[in-house]
Amino acid sequence: MEIDTGMEQEINKAAIAFSLTSALWFALATSMGMVAAGYLIAPDFMANIGWLQFGRIRPIHVNLVLFGFVTPGLLAAAFYYVPKLGRTQLFSQKLGVYNAILWNITIAIGVVTLSAGYTQGREYAELIWPVDMLIVINFALVIVNLVMTVRSRKEPILYVSIWYALAAVVLTATTYCLGNVIWKPSSGALVGIQDAILLWFYGHNIFGLLLTPLSLGVAYYVIPKVTRNPLYSHSLSLVGFWGLLVVYTHIGTHHLLQVPVPTWLKVISIVDSVAMVIPVMVFLINIWYTVKGKVGEIHADVAGKFVFAGTIFYFFVNIQGSMMALPQVQRVTHFNNWVVGHAHLGVLAFAGMTALGGMYYVLPKISGKPLYSHFLADLQYWLVLIGSGGFTVVLTIVGLIQGNAWLNGETVYRVLPAIQIYYVLRVAIGFLILSGAYIGLYNIVRTIFFNPGAKA
Amino acid sequence: MSQEMTPKAIIFGSLLILAAVTFVVVLWPYTHRHTAPSEIYRQRTALEESGRKIYLANGCVYCHSQSIRTIDWGHGAERIAQAGDYISDEPVALGSARTGVDLSQEGGEHPDDWHIAHFINPRYTRPNSIMPPFEWLGMENIKSLTAYIQSLGMKGADKRMQRQRHWKEQVATAYEAGPAHNIRWLAEHVPEGWRNIPNPYPTTPAGLARGHKIYQDFCLGCHSPIGDGMGPAQPWIYPPPLNFTILKGREISGGIIYYQIMNGITGSAMPYFKKELESEKIWDVGNYVAEYFINQSDANTEPKGIDASYEP
Ligand code: HEC
Ligand code: HEC
Ligand code: HEM
Ligand code: HEM
Repeated sequence: MEIDTGMEQEINKAAIAFSLTSALWFALATSMGMVAAGYLIAPDFMANIGWLQFGRIRPIHVNLVLFGFVTPGLLAAAFYYVPKLGRTQLFSQKLGVYNAILWNITIAIGVVTLSAGYTQGREYAELIWPVDMLIVINFALVIVNLVMTVRSRKEPILYVSIWYALAAVVLTATTYCLGNVIWKPSSGALVGIQDAILLWFYGHNIFGLLLTPLSLGVAYYVIPKVTRNPLYSHSLSLVGFWGLLVVYTHIGTHHLLQVPVPTWLKVISIVDSVAMVIPVMVFLINIWYTVKGKVGEIHADVAGKFVFAGTIFYFFVNIQGSMMALPQVQRVTHFNNWVVGHAHLGVLAFAGMTALGGMYYVLPKISGKPLYSHFLADLQYWLVLIGSGGFTVVLTIVGLIQGNAWLNGETVYRVLPAIQIYYVLRVAIGFLILSGAYIGLYNIVRTIFFNPGAKA
Repeated sequence: MSQEMTPKAIIFGSLLILAAVTFVVVLWPYTHRHTAPSEIYRQRTALEESGRKIYLANGCVYCHSQSIRTIDWGHGAERIAQAGDYISDEPVALGSARTGVDLSQEGGEHPDDWHIAHFINPRYTRPNSIMPPFEWLGMENIKSLTAYIQSLGMKGADKRMQRQRHWKEQVATAYEAGPAHNIRWLAEHVPEGWRNIPNPYPTTPAGLARGHKIYQDFCLGCHSPIGDGMGPAQPWIYPPPLNFTILKGREISGGIIYYQIMNGITGSAMPYFKKELESEKIWDVGNYVAEYFINQSDANTEPKGIDASYEP
């Protein structure tokens, strides 16, 4: 870990701007999730308002959680730890702030265009070409800022968090262009089955080359800090890093195991989905051994708690994911709410909680003020934790009901009454996450503005 | 030991890995695709293409897959998806969830009027549906959307649509000739054997309660809660849903009712229920219709064959 030189960090406006971005869109994204979930129990609620109907709200929800909440939250932490670990200052605060402003404009345009029905109709690649371009520009700006910061570093050794942050933004900028077929602005798609192969290569890279490495970067930074233990093993982090990049990129086709794509592609994706256990366990062993004997410290620190919970969910989402890639299992789990449960476990419980932890860790440091309320942050932790766990349980049950019923010849229509109660439970549990999101927004806004606390 | 991890090593190393993997799992299959059209493939018409745009713009793809698997039972289960089915789809709309049903072979499953009523509000034809209503799209868009849906399954769909159109003409003519003729016409098209079969099971309160539930879950949007055919779907359906009360005294046996529910009446909006209702359920809902709306049931009358092992 870096040597603390006691060098004063300036007020980090870039990280502040990205934290606010994340907190704001977290609140709006969960609101959209509630609307989508509402339609599934009462399809005529807000009936016939075109721009608010399920098929448009759902991609808004998903794009907002990915690009509005989780990614900016994780980047906020990166904007702090990259200069800190390099014992330098962020290359340009101004660039960072403009970047965050452009980011918000991009997301807002994305929401408006999606709700107006402008979509490329490909899951995770819905945004139309101009918005795609804006996203790529945003990532390019982040790359410039982080790379220039790293170049001006005074600490020669790069800590593992920086590897992940750099790789994540560079690789995402690349796969984003590929996956969105930006050389074909009108459709943003290839033709036929090839399109599905490319789409899921890209779709999976959003989780594997963006959310996961950025989250691991945060965990590698926050956990040793909070526990005041040195990182257990630097060699393991090296294996985990390259292992993740090699294995994760191969497995997109596990989304297509039941459609006519070449068999050898399916085989690669299944084998490597199981092999994902290696980089994941390497990371977890490294982190959990670092925590060894210091669980108390973790629990005394809200940021530590969030990130540590994130690592535990990472374990579960990996074990679950590897199982779901086995054809025998996927006969039951594909096409139904089991996958939605997995998606929330991954994006919300793992990446989302890690992002929140990262933000709570850096907030006092980037703003120079203490957290407005530890109580509210703690409350948010429990709301999101119980909410994520609840989602996973409920959606997994629904998925098992649907999958087994279909496998035994029940029609989709006949199963609808059986699953309705779980859709109701999902909305009920959703209120916990929704309240957590708004509480977090309030807390973060109050920390940065109108903070009565003494200067730290 | 981490000295080797320079910014250059990280950035170019990871880009190199990405490039290699992209080559193997994306570029290679792309250049080695053999996209011979499948035996059902045909091109879409301009109208169908515009319907597909509406399909994509409104997120139908988040609830509907378009790809049949070997393990499926729903409609179209006979036609396993092939790569050659998708060769003009840009983007491909395979879908990753079945909140609704698979639509890859949907064309010709129902006549157009069923779809229009269903799009206006899915609860009109499917009381338990959780699909959102699409009335706000306007009739013109609903019609192009319907044209697209009816093309799903391509040549297979065309064959089914031909059948729908052929019988649509016939059911409409029969309907226009007046109720007496229509009912005779409908009954005559039920195969001989079925016509003489009474409902073999006695009327019981439990059986009627089951029939009532099935009626509510499957039939009431068209035939209405009182069986007069004036359910909310009625304005969009032609010939309109049958008014059961006119069946009284016209020798409608339990077997006719059973057969019509099981097999549906192709051409009319009356769907088949053989995939959704097991035998007992069809007898139960048939007897419910007979008892409550026709006010005349042949349940448990001769000929009965060998007695059922269980009799209440
Ligand atoms: C919230 C998910 C949802 C969305 C969005 C949705 N559907 Fe559905 N759809 C369903 C469900 C559930 C059913 C099964 C119940 C029924 O028949 O209504 C269904 C049934 C259907 C059927 C009837 C299949 C049959 O023969 O029984 C068609 C056709 C259809 N949908 C087309 C569409 C189109 C076109 C769109 C977009 C404009 C769309 N759906 C959007 C959930 C959805
Ligand atoms: C989408 C609308 C719709 C639904 C849903 C529907 N029906 Fe029908 N039904 C019709 C139409 C239309 C006809 C035929 C009208 C004609 O040709 O005159 C019909 C005819 C019938 C007949 C034929 C009677 C005869 O004399 O041949 C029976 C029996 C019947 N329906 C029962 C049911 C039952 C039971 C259900 C629920 C399980 C049901 N229907 C659901 C629209 C519907
Ligand atoms: C690490 C090992 C993992 C494996 C082996 C794995 C495997 C899978 C598989 C097989 C599916 C497809 C399910 C289906 O359609 O039947 C899937 C879907 C998904 N996964 Fe994972 N997963 C892993 C981790 C993650 C993580 C960490 C995240 C989030 C950060 C994530 C997010 C998702 C999402 C959002 C989907 C849903 C895609 C859709 O919309 O259909 N996964 N995963
Ligand atoms: C109030 C809380 C939330 C509610 C009620 C909610 C509800 C929903 C609903 C209804 C869907 C569509 C599922 C379907 O099509 O059947 C969905 C999808 C999704 N949500 Fe949420 N959500 C919430 C919070 C979140 C959060 C915080 C995240 C991530 C940080 C998230 C990530 C996702 C993802 C990735 C999908 C796509 C799943 C897939 O394609 O398989 N959600 N959510």
